[in-house]
Amino acid sequence: MSSRPAARSHQAAVIRKNLENLFLYIVLVLVAVITVFPFVWVFFTSFKGVTDPIYSVPPQLIPNAPTIDNYLRVWQQLPVWRFYINSIFVTLTIVVLNALFSSLAAYPLAKMRFRGREAFFFLLLATYIVPPVLTSIPSFVLAVKVFDYYDKIRSVIFPYLAGVLSIFLMRQAFKGVPDDLLDAGRIDGASELRIWWEIVMPVVRPSLATVAIITFVEQWNNFFWPSLMLHTREHMTLQVGLVALQGAFANDARGIAAGVVMTVVPMIVFFALLQQQFVRGLTGAVKG
Amino acid sequence: MTSKFSITPYLFLAPALLVIAVFVLYPILAVVYYSFTDYNIVTPPVWVGLRNYQQLAKDPIFWQALKHSFIYLLVTPTLIFLSVLLAIVVNRKLSGIHAFRALFFIPVISGSIAVGIAWRLMLDTNGIINGMLIALGLLSEPIQWLAEPAYTLPIAMLLTIWLGLGYYMMIFLAGLQNIPEELYDAALIDGCNNWQKHWYISIPGLRPQITFVAVISSLAALQVFNEIFILTGGLGGILNSGVTVVFYLWRQAFRLQHAGMASAIAMVLLVITLLFSMMNIRILERGTEAES
Repeated sequence: MSSRPAARSHQAAVIRKNLENLFLYIVLVLVAVITVFPFVWVFFTSFKGVTDPIYSVPPQLIPNAPTIDNYLRVWQQLPVWRFYINSIFVTLTIVVLNALFSSLAAYPLAKMRFRGREAFFFLLLATYIVPPVLTSIPSFVLAVKVFDYYDKIRSVIFPYLAGVLSIFLMRQAFKGVPDDLLDAGRIDGASELRIWWEIVMPVVRPSLATVAIITFVEQWNNFFWPSLMLHTREHMTLQVGLVALQGAFANDARGIAAGVVMTVVPMIVFFALLQQQFVRGLTGAVKG
Repeated sequence: MTSKFSITPYLFLAPALLVIAVFVLYPILAVVYYSFTDYNIVTPPVWVGLRNYQQLAKDPIFWQALKHSFIYLLVTPTLIFLSVLLAIVVNRKLSGIHAFRALFFIPVISGSIAVGIAWRLMLDTNGIINGMLIALGLLSEPIQWLAEPAYTLPIAMLLTIWLGLGYYMMIFLAGLQNIPEELYDAALIDGCNNWQKHWYISIPGLRPQITFVAVISSLAALQVFNEIFILTGGLGGILNSGVTVVFYLWRQAFRLQHAGMASAIAMVLLVITLLFSMMNIRILERGTEAES
């Protein structure tokens, strides 16, 4: 070891740096444990057989005799595959149509001059603050009395076919597209619809991805309105079905845990595959 | 650009406007009307003037729900504090930091229903939380976490915080990464230590994100439903200990078929929401002005 003062103070700095990093890692691991623990616990519990206790002191996390019985039991008693199909159908339909209708609406708001443009835009912005629970009361009445789709799957699709946030995000994206591009199309005699679809939409793909991801996560996890509408088990989405399962398996923590795992896994897999897009999409909306 | 009237822009707007008109604009007007009626959804609404509002003013459960909703707003400062701290930590260039960031984001995408049910199982009297606390010697006998009125709101608030932390952390992280490195260098030269530099540079630099998070997380807190619904099994907790404004609205509208009363609650919620977002933006904007 060198005893020169410069080296010694350098050494002290390295030690301090290492200690600081150690402290930061302790914080990170602690938060990670708190974040992941419920998932890990519910995962292991869903594979516990009757011989592995849910409650014991000290607690047992990992099953000694893992089994898929819980999953089989849940699949037998509830139409889980219908929950999946309904959730996938509802989510995908909304993701596609919401992006389409919102982009259509956003285009003139960003790129055309017409009477009432500002009024339309502020009207839309003003509705953004309205709590969804408020609109649920008249929407319920409409569902029962006018659209006659209470307890039908389309009831959880129609209200989400356009969204103020999507329109707002797409408007921002269109504003960034140079007018020269549009004018070139106009000189060629293309209709506004063709200009929108063939010239503008391809340019704003990243924003479309943002809108799609926000809508996807929101709809896959949507509960409040679907829980008001869907009552026949065959018509339920995963989230509503999971709550029905919780009722049907009231004293069966292992079965409920299996249901939780089945609901959460598709989203976590998706997230693992598309991490960057998810984070950018969900938090990117902020920059607006 | 031509200035002559063209129907094209309106055609572009039509599909989205139709959806929003039917599912947002009409409902706002309808709620205003329903709030002055006695309405059970089955038979036509009957005009009763201000009766719903008068009843609400005398309804102790409604006042309790209001109080609970305001208590729930405590999640906002807590979330801002914790997620700014966490963002500062994950902004460090440590190995494996990307994995930690991704991990912290998982609750955000998992959905409050599934996660809430997992929490509910863990907090059961015969759940792993009691098992761990007893094994560690912190408890001598199991606590009925979910049956104890005093715990209902705090547990729901913890769940809300746990669900949102990763999301707000990412927002603040993006904000931190926009702060120029030179500012930190200058702070170090001026003799700031590592923590002081965050106080003097990071926090002021994050002001736009703090404004944004304060608004959206407090609006979300005012509208909390899923956490309460799951943790109390749809009942609102013993002695209404978990009943918030939105939960009470839901119960009045969809459990008791009191759509008129529920609409009056919705109007109160709307007014609170408007006041709150205006106040939030005002206060935080004034802060920015004072600085510049």
